[in-house]
Amino acid sequence: MPDVPHNGAYMVAAYIVTAVILLGYALSLYRRAKQP
Amino acid sequence: MADLLRQAWTVARKDLLLEFRTRTALVSALVFSALVLTMFNFGRDPTAVATIDLAPTILWVTFTFAAMLALNRAFQLELENQALEGLLVSPLSRTSLYWGKLLANLVFVALVEAVGLPLFVLFFDVPVGRVLLPLVGVIALATIGFVAVGTLFSALVIRTRFAELLLVVLLLPFLVPPLIGAVQVTARLLGGRPLSEAAGWFRLLAAYDIGFVSLATLLFPFTVDE
Amino acid sequence: MSLAHKGRRITLLGLVLLAGVYVRALAFTPLERFQGPAQKIFYLHVPAAWSAMLAMGLVGLCSILYLIVKDLRFDRFAAASAEVGTAFSLVMLTTGPIWAKPIWGTWWTWDARLTLTLFLFFLFIGYLLLRGAVVEPGLRARYSAVLGICGLVLLPFIHLSVYLFRTLHPQPIVLKPSSPSLPGSMLVTLLVSFAVFTLLYVGFVTQRYALALQREAQGREHA
Repeated sequence: MPDVPHNGAYMVAAYIVTAVILLGYALSLYRRAKQP
Repeated sequence: MADLLRQAWTVARKDLLLEFRTRTALVSALVFSALVLTMFNFGRDPTAVATIDLAPTILWVTFTFAAMLALNRAFQLELENQALEGLLVSPLSRTSLYWGKLLANLVFVALVEAVGLPLFVLFFDVPVGRVLLPLVGVIALATIGFVAVGTLFSALVIRTRFAELLLVVLLLPFLVPPLIGAVQVTARLLGGRPLSEAAGWFRLLAAYDIGFVSLATLLFPFTVDE
Repeated sequence: MSLAHKGRRITLLGLVLLAGVYVRALAFTPLERFQGPAQKIFYLHVPAAWSAMLAMGLVGLCSILYLIVKDLRFDRFAAASAEVGTAFSLVMLTTGPIWAKPIWGTWWTWDARLTLTLFLFFLFIGYLLLRGAVVEPGLRARYSAVLGICGLVLLPFIHLSVYLFRTLHPQPIVLKPSSPSLPGSMLVTLLVSFAVFTLLYVGFVTQRYALALQREAQGREHA
């Protein structure tokens, strides 16, 4: 049986990037609403 | 229908007459195409890749740029002379206005391509003799697609500040399907492949043209109406 | 409760549930034997794609409705949807290559899926650029609607031309991405993720719509 590939780093990277984008956008929306 | 075509021709004629009086845009576009073709020659390594492999790409990138140049001047003339308002209050229908613009742009681009193609053949020693007719056919199909959408988008950007730049940014994604089709067909024609192999691409080009010319005709009134 | 407030609540809920999806996907969903941990990117990438497509579809639909009815609410919604769609497209465009590299051996490939992602992104950006360039609201609404409809019609052509293009130039593939039949646990994670991403879409659009309303009201005050 072939070994399971060790590419966990990519998974982590993708999960972090996604969180950054979505949280970043949420924050942007929040801050833009607070401005006068 | 005949009325529509007649009105469209009136619009087109006016545009083309204006164009030929000064000839600046046309000459610039022709020179530009020649320069682009020249640049392509120096931008490649003839020992690494055979010309014939690059040829379709070179031709179509050049034609795409030429079409963009043509479109940029499409509504500029009107804007400069405030003639657009005049056109709109005239009894001309919106549809014939679009078709007139489309026709004028097509003539312009066709002229540039008519000079560009022989130059291309000359510069890159491409054997087009036997496939000239289908080649002209695919050039016509793809150009109609480019110009149909481009004419519509010209109306969208006309009053914006960076109109030329915005037009390119908006238009390029729309040029990809006809571009892919055109390059594929051209590659097959120049490679001496039987026409039947390119049939699917021809259909794609035709579908695109029919689809977008219809859509643009439908949507154009919204770009000039209140 | 104002619209903005409602929007924030929904988004907050969405983000909390997203954290839940993260936990479930990373810790409680089985590893795929042949693709390894990187396969789990799937649980984010595909729902993001869905949200981006949904956003685009609604931009198109609202554009059509606006041109028919001339109700500025449709234009406002389309603008909101376009911005939100851009965010989700960005998620697609980043997770796509990060997933492709370990699975296909290359960061980018011009296959139909990734290419469509890129075009979706270009269309959203173009739409937002056009809106930024036209000042008068009525004109902006009409022009945006025209572009929105054209963009929607373009997508099937892009898909078709790229698909035809690709079938002629097959890419050497290192590992094939997993096909349809997902075992139960993975399917559940995926479906939950779909739901959460949809919720995020709703929250974001609501907030963005409320923001537009707020700005219009402020514009009137200053005028």
